[in-house]
Amino acid sequence: MPTIQQQIVEKFLAKLSESEKVDPGKIEKLRATLAATKKPKADDFVKIFTESDGGNLK
Amino acid sequence: MIKLEKAHIEEMRGIRKLDIDFDKKTFAISGPNGSGKSGVIDSIEFGLTGQIGRLTGRGTGGLTIAEHGPHVDKTRFPDASFVELHVFLTGLGKSVKITRKINAAKRPVIEPADDDVLAVLAEVADHPEIALSRREILRFILVEPTKRSEEIQAILKLEEIGLIRNALNTTQNNLQRAQRTAEVTVETSGGSLKTHLQIAAFTAADVLEAVNQRRKLLGLTEIAELTADTNLAVGLSASATATAFNKQSALRDLKALSDAAEGFSDIGKATAMAIVTDLEKLERDPGLLDALQRRAFIEKGLELVDGPDCPLCDTPWADEQHLSDHLRAKLEKSEEARKLQDGLLENGAVLMREIIRVDGLVTPIQKMSESEAETAFAQLLDGWKTDLSDLRSKLASVDGLTGLKARLEGDWLNVPAGLGASLTAFTAKVEAKPDQTATMEAQTFLSTGQARHHDYRVAQTKQRDAKKAADAAKAAYSAYCEVMDGELNALYEAVQDNFSKFYRAINSDDESSFTAKLTPSEGKLDFGVNFYDRGLFPPGAFHSEGHQDGMGVCLYLALMKRLFGDSFEFAMLDDVVMSVDTDHRREFCNLLKTEFPNTQFVITTHDRLWAEQMKSARLITAKTSLAFHSWSIDTGPLVESNEDIWDDIADQLGKGKVESAALSLRRHLEYVSRVLADELGATPPFHSDGNYELGELLQSVLARLRYLYGKAAESANSWGNNQLRDEIVARRDAFSRAAAASNVEQWAVNRAVHYNEWARFGKRDFEPVVAAFKDLLDCFRCAKCGWLHVTPKGLQPESLRCGCNDLNFNLTVKGR
Repeated sequence: MPTIQQQIVEKFLAKLSESEKVDPGKIEKLRATLAATKKPKADDFVKIFTESDGGNLK
Repeated sequence: MIKLEKAHIEEMRGIRKLDIDFDKKTFAISGPNGSGKSGVIDSIEFGLTGQIGRLTGRGTGGLTIAEHGPHVDKTRFPDASFVELHVFLTGLGKSVKITRKINAAKRPVIEPADDDVLAVLAEVADHPEIALSRREILRFILVEPTKRSEEIQAILKLEEIGLIRNALNTTQNNLQRAQRTAEVTVETSGGSLKTHLQIAAFTAADVLEAVNQRRKLLGLTEIAELTADTNLAVGLSASATATAFNKQSALRDLKALSDAAEGFSDIGKATAMAIVTDLEKLERDPGLLDALQRRAFIEKGLELVDGPDCPLCDTPWADEQHLSDHLRAKLEKSEEARKLQDGLLENGAVLMREIIRVDGLVTPIQKMSESEAETAFAQLLDGWKTDLSDLRSKLASVDGLTGLKARLEGDWLNVPAGLGASLTAFTAKVEAKPDQTATMEAQTFLSTGQARHHDYRVAQTKQRDAKKAADAAKAAYSAYCEVMDGELNALYEAVQDNFSKFYRAINSDDESSFTAKLTPSEGKLDFGVNFYDRGLFPPGAFHSEGHQDGMGVCLYLALMKRLFGDSFEFAMLDDVVMSVDTDHRREFCNLLKTEFPNTQFVITTHDRLWAEQMKSARLITAKTSLAFHSWSIDTGPLVESNEDIWDDIADQLGKGKVESAALSLRRHLEYVSRVLADELGATPPFHSDGNYELGELLQSVLARLRYLYGKAAESANSWGNNQLRDEIVARRDAFSRAAAASNVEQWAVNRAVHYNEWARFGKRDFEPVVAAFKDLLDCFRCAKCGWLHVTPKGLQPESLRCGCNDLNFNLTVKGR
């Protein structure tokens, strides 16, 4: 039985896939990050949202 | 998920060695305070999860599993402290043995170590909330709404959800800040380009008109369409492209800087002063400054937590959760510091953007002065740019900002002295230059225009990327919050409905229309409970302590039901209904039986009556319950119904521990007297508090058995069964002799004398006492199965018998 945390993450990723603001590649990276750690850091997310087609902001 | 089959506990907490057969059934452990009940709960929790809740969390600083998990005499030998659990995994249909030692808390030995078994046990280990203590109940019933939210989130392990939300929020803020910075860069580079092209707005028509006018003059093909890749200087020779100085453009750049310089003293003044005000607040309150500095430090530490050792100071903790809770509690204390930090960083970002604008004006002049060999002016501007760059990096952090107060109070841009004069002189020098030929002017116009167009396009690309990243982060944060709110609201709704239903079930007599409302809001969870249809109030407002205890357990059960669904198969309730009264406890038993028929509860209580109620309500049986009568540091918990009691007493006497032996004997007599009073229907003097002295209880039991034997003999005689009558009479005579012998020795187990007298007793003094009581109690037993009892229970039973029917004496006298 999935935990509430897992349910939220799954629904979050599903909802995000409906958004035109986030491309599927980033959603998969988010999925991998959220599966790999229970305590993701803001830097992890910044990297996902800015890398490749998002530029290289610092 | 799991059910507990049996447990072997050795040298854990207050336990020396203990075996319990749980048989996958709901099980109760009773005993007075300090008899070792919670040690069993701790040990099972440790065996299943590697954690001991009582040694972690708030108010447990300085406690660790490694140091305080073992029996106090074994703290230096943690290898000797272990738990061996036999667990049935219901989903897999497998029985598994888990052996977990204190010195290898994270490395249990699991047999069989199949992948599916390990997966289930890993899930169990991730749920320390299977153990509930009264302290935890109070934590989420009688707390502030802000704390309740945290406590309930903690029990449901929802902190992770909050951590993800926080990380996404920080991401969103960082990327929005980056986007605003990128926008300023576009604005600055665009302004520089427009100044050069002398156009009011960056439209393709205006750009192409300015550019094509020069291209036409140079005989170059006109550009028909302006795109991101358009090279305004295409067709110019390399040497022409290399010549960057365009007199008119240079004069316009100089004028732009001169004009702007007039307002430099006012730029960002209000923002700088807002930062100064915050910094003064920090100066006045060293504690706030301390909290702020620690905050950044602790935030970093929290990010780096990866195991039980502190990443900041290497201090070992009981486990990662304990350490994280400790750091999080420190962060909570600095909420005011957090607000201050946010304000400082936001204002710092505003000034950073002003610096980008100023730098955009200074950079072309600095390059120009360098190429025109105006070394002193070039160095002046270069030094200023370096200073502004350094300032920009300091504005990005609280640490950097704290050292800027003096600068921000005055001319924070630190405009170089003599800038105005130098600008004037340099402008004059440029003006004095001979006008460029039309061709040269057109060439440099195009080459400079292309360089600035390129910079502008690069800035635009970065700004678009930054916007895309910021939009994505914002969408992610919004989506997460929306999903999280929806799920948590659904969770709280389901929890509040079940909570109300469970509470009504326990209190059907006086609160049959009870309702409750859990209302989540930003960082809070309000909890309102109905009080006799007078409205919703906080749980502690009008309800009694007993009702609050009931609420705590009901809320826990509702949370567990929501959290685990049908997999809620195991939970340990450690003395959690101590304030609930007798009638409501009976209903509580019914609630557990009806609403949680597939859940194995391990329930501890210090209240003997409650333990017996659980039996009479058939929540547990004699086989699925255990009573501790006392505890000593040498023996650990002493079990009342221990079949080996006489061997244990003999062991204690063998070691010369007469006091322990006498205490064990007295506790055993107390226990057996209560059991027999119930089983035989004895009538001791009534006590409303349920507390009976051994003397009066034992006497009433002796009198009752004497009466029952007499009644059985009379019955056998009335039915003409002389052989049976003689057998009964023989038993009665043996019983009378044993009673008389024990009566002689009763002083020895008298509560009033034991502490003083036993100290002077030797082994041989006490052995006859033990023998007399053993003989006496044997008269109440079947040699094959256990204690005698009457059926039906009550004042007029029909038979005196044992469980295996080996002994069965009719009590009904044949009618005449």
